[in-house]
Amino acid sequence: MISLDDIRAAATVIAPHVVRTPLLPFGPSRWLKPESLQPIGAFKLRGALNALARLENRSNGVVAYSSGNHAQAVAFAARLHGVPAAIVMPSNTPEVKIAATRALGAEVFVVGITERVERAEALVAERGAALIPPFDHPDVIAGQGTIGLEICADLPSLDAVVVPMSGGGLISGVATAVKALRPDVRVIGAEPALAADIADSLHAGELVRWDPVARARTAADALRDEPSELTWEHISELVDDVITVSEDEILAAVADLVRGARLVAEPSGAVAVAAQAKLGHGVAVVSGGNIDPQLLAGALTASG
Amino acid sequence: MRLVTLEDVHAAAAAIAPHVVRTPLLPFDSALWIKPECLQPIGAFKQRGAVNALSRIPSEARSRGVVAYSSGNHAQAVAYAAKLLGMPAAIVVPSNTPQLKIDATRAHGAEVFVVGITERESRAYELVEERGATLIPPFDHPDVIAGQGTIGLEICADLPDVATVLVPVSGGGLISGVAVAVKSLRPDVRVIGVEPELAGDAAASFAAGSQVHWDAHDRARTIADGLRAEPSELTFAHIREHVDDIITVTEDEIRSAVGEIARRTRVVSEPSGAVGVAAYLNRSLPAGPAVAVVSGGNIEPALFASLVAG
Repeated sequence: MISLDDIRAAATVIAPHVVRTPLLPFGPSRWLKPESLQPIGAFKLRGALNALARLENRSNGVVAYSSGNHAQAVAFAARLHGVPAAIVMPSNTPEVKIAATRALGAEVFVVGITERVERAEALVAERGAALIPPFDHPDVIAGQGTIGLEICADLPSLDAVVVPMSGGGLISGVATAVKALRPDVRVIGAEPALAADIADSLHAGELVRWDPVARARTAADALRDEPSELTWEHISELVDDVITVSEDEILAAVADLVRGARLVAEPSGAVAVAAQAKLGHGVAVVSGGNIDPQLLAGALTASG
Repeated sequence: MRLVTLEDVHAAAAAIAPHVVRTPLLPFDSALWIKPECLQPIGAFKQRGAVNALSRIPSEARSRGVVAYSSGNHAQAVAYAAKLLGMPAAIVVPSNTPQLKIDATRAHGAEVFVVGITERESRAYELVEERGATLIPPFDHPDVIAGQGTIGLEICADLPDVATVLVPVSGGGLISGVAVAVKSLRPDVRVIGVEPELAGDAAASFAAGSQVHWDAHDRARTIADGLRAEPSELTFAHIREHVDDIITVTEDEIRSAVGEIARRTRVVSEPSGAVGVAAYLNRSLPAGPAVAVVSGGNIEPALFASLVAG
């Protein structure tokens, strides 16, 4: 498992290249950590920058597979370090994320949803490139954990942190930082009810697998992954509770963020906010803001 | 006339720090950053000036409360600051103010009076007279200007190689404060005001070298409802002393900038907040890194939906 020292080291490495996001008040006893304001529109930049900076051999480039935001993060980090990036994306990825990844100079391969790992591994073998996994790597987890450091530094009265869960890299890092610095603070995971495999796992006390096609039903397209052994170890050890939210609650939270916080969030980025609305307090991590404009307009219209 | 100084702005920064968000600069493209003041709790920069002005009211006058007149964001700012400091607030708003802003002001616990667009000042002065309250003007006050100037301090601290700062102009409080801070710290940085063409009175005044007045109904034509006021003698004096230029943008340019800001920075801006970015996208500016102050984000959701999808 990663340590607080790993996260502090990551904070130093990534500081020049990430936005130091502020906490935004969001009604009584509620705050937002708007990672949607990172240059690529998501927290994933933190983990990708840390992992790439710590690679020993990156001269043959890097490869990543991702439903979208990790793709942009690796493309951005690779451009910063002047190395080529090849990104494998599943075919149900929103067009806005594919276009954004290409715009950052990466070569993009669109494949079927179950084939992406295999294709990425083939590219690694062909090119001698380094794979940057979206969550199953200590350096990636440590990078995401810097969010937890910042929350603790900015809010001495902190009592709970609500974090979206998919592959589990974000909550693994955040929970490690928060529990090390403030063991009294509750770390709560948030999941769409349609992709609630971690909620099931936590209730069962062991990793429960859902079919990828079932997980793909949620509009929260960045939360369709499942944990690895590494992230599950962090989650089962450090996460206090999980709150699941409906698709309607997710889209209502997208609209609430526009009206109440002037933030554009993607459905995945609004899941923790929907869960925070049920909890009534704490800091919710708004993990990303890469939403198709038509979907955003629809969410605003639906909510009146 | 005594102009606001860098020392006033530094003092304001210390006074307001616990009550405002320290907004980061966000990259828009390789040459422009935005300063997203729409992320303040009330959705606009006005919170800075209001908190500073209220924090300087002597303790014996606080219980009689404050009065403000405003097209919207200043109203919410004064209501919010009064709630924060435990003072009663009465707010006069013109009848063409978006309902969203009226509701938000009431939600902060203020008493709201809706009046005709030309009557708001006189009604505010009546309320001051009746109650013995303190008037907090939206821009025509040194403490308000000093509060807005803290944005300039933060820009200079966060982007040392900044070459140009783009600031929306209406009553001129924001640009007066920002220009004092930026020009005192970095005389080489260009401070450029931006107005809607349909409310371009400050640009006309700047070009003429003396203040030109436009009819209030003309200024009310722009979609940028936060930019329909005109400078006071005090703010125009700051503009003449410190501002390098004032340029205008069209209504279409403003609308399209709201969408661009949302897509590139994931921030919600109102039309008034987007004029600086509209200028960057459509006018030629001096070379070097630029910062556009995105002054507010209180936009009707249906309008935002149509601009972001467009």
